Amino acid sequence: MPGDFVIESENLTKRYRPHIMAVDGLNMQARRGEVYGFVGPNGAGKTTALRMFLGLVRASSGSCLVLGEKPGTPGALARIGALVETPAFYPYLSGRNNLRVLARHAGVPYSRIEPVLEEVELSSRGDDRFKTYSLGMKQRLGMAAALLKDPELLILDEPTNGLDPAGMAEMRHLIRNLGHGNRTVLLSSHLMGELEQICDRIGVVKDGKIVVEGSLDELRQGTRIKLRAKPVVRARELLASLDGVGQTEMQDDDMLIIEADQSLAADINRLLVTAGVDVSELTTVQNSLESVFLSLTGEVRSHE
Amino acid sequence: MNSLLAELLLIRRRAATWILLGFWTAIALLFSYVLPYYAYTANTNFHGRGIVLYVLLPQNLVSTITTTFPFFGGTMVLILGVLCMGSEYNWGTLTTVLVQRDGRLKFFLSKIAALAIAIVPFVLLVFVLGFVASSIIALREDQAIMLPSMWDLVRALSVGWLLLAAWASFGVLLAVLSKGTALAIGLGIIYGLVLEGIISSFGQQIDLLDQVSKGLLRTNGYSLISALGSSIPAEAGPGGFSGTTVSGTQALIVIVVYILLFVAFSALVVKRRDVSGTS
Repeated sequence: MPGDFVIESENLTKRYRPHIMAVDGLNMQARRGEVYGFVGPNGAGKTTALRMFLGLVRASSGSCLVLGEKPGTPGALARIGALVETPAFYPYLSGRNNLRVLARHAGVPYSRIEPVLEEVELSSRGDDRFKTYSLGMKQRLGMAAALLKDPELLILDEPTNGLDPAGMAEMRHLIRNLGHGNRTVLLSSHLMGELEQICDRIGVVKDGKIVVEGSLDELRQGTRIKLRAKPVVRARELLASLDGVGQTEMQDDDMLIIEADQSLAADINRLLVTAGVDVSELTTVQNSLESVFLSLTGEVRSHE
Repeated sequence: MNSLLAELLLIRRRAATWILLGFWTAIALLFSYVLPYYAYTANTNFHGRGIVLYVLLPQNLVSTITTTFPFFGGTMVLILGVLCMGSEYNWGTLTTVLVQRDGRLKFFLSKIAALAIAIVPFVLLVFVLGFVASSIIALREDQAIMLPSMWDLVRALSVGWLLLAAWASFGVLLAVLSKGTALAIGLGIIYGLVLEGIISSFGQQIDLLDQVSKGLLRTNGYSLISALGSSIPAEAGPGGFSGTTVSGTQALIVIVVYILLFVAFSALVVKRRDVSGTS
């Protein structure tokens, strides 16, 4: 339904030089009231895309509407709160004065400053200079600045950077709460666990394109089978001939991760035992966002 | 108006603004009053001693104090202009501010307006302290304290502001082009303190450079204050100028055109250029 999409991009492209394609025909749609996760490896074009949504970077081609307006127009910006990359503020001003400056630029009354400082638990340090803040405090001030306009759309780029585990949990809780009702949150993060806990839908970005977009359940569809066997190389050879078995990946010295439906577990077990392979463990595993991400982006799997 | 207030808050709260203001007034007083008066009191029989005292009296405030504007004042506010704009790139605050409600042009013009207001005290304070210094000298030397005419004062204050505005907007342009402060300050100082002086000096021998120097900020600055009745400092001293001057009207037009060009070109770049993570 028109109007339900807060961000709509069509073939959005940013080319820096003829051979540097930062964003390559990005098609994405963020719906009103959802927390949309933007995930991709370093250099995938996530931050450039976020900057394009905010009008900081101009598109080379393609189109984009943010809250129904062209990116960067005062009408759109008045309804957007953003934290892009590292939180940047005037180091010689206090946190509170930094927010005063931004409130002036945003046309927001000073009365909004105290509530947002309280929301990010920075009231007691609000009069300290920004340059004295820890990384976590800077991140929280960035969050306060993003909330200053009580925005319809929050664009957050790695908002938990620099936070300790407790701070990360609080930030996740805050973002989850902010994403309710009419407010939409577009969240970019490398942390799969974080995205899994917060997001309603995810767009996986690779080489400037969305390679897959969907709800968490849609993305995590399917299972894998974890198998411990000896000799593992022989087991791998045998599995290659079995219908329904996708890629197999070796872990440790005797472990295989097999892309296959759980219904094949018995067949796999029978095949291997019959061939004289010792099977000491065979379990089905639900796909995690991380495994989906790694398989889609071709990143090396470091551990399960 | 809100954006202008925000930018004024930034300038007012920044220590560098006050340091530059203090340094500039100290230098202006030192070279306009303190050193000349010291020379006057230390050497009791040199040729033209009476003229030295005459120049230091309050009625000559305009012609004495304005000689410091094209050189020392210009350099100080060039740094101020660079810091105001270039720090936005250094600290990454350009991104933070541009995602607020204002358009880029409104943000930039607010910054320019704030800078234009900020240089008013740079002009006023030097004149006030110049008057205080010259009055002290007059009292010590049993001379009458007479102010220049109001018209002369208004003209001098306006010219002072105009000269500082030209250099400050030049600083803004350098900061925008270099996306920071360090290179902009370096280039600005080399240009202002060295390059223009060299071109003016060689202009006495090379006709082409003489013509070029007539279009430079410093030449037109000295020409403008010369039109107010100021005598341009000798070439050997700090801030000295040895080049050819132009008429007051021509200098006024050139300075105004410089300001407009610097601001317009900076605004164009700010409006058109992407604000990426590295900027």
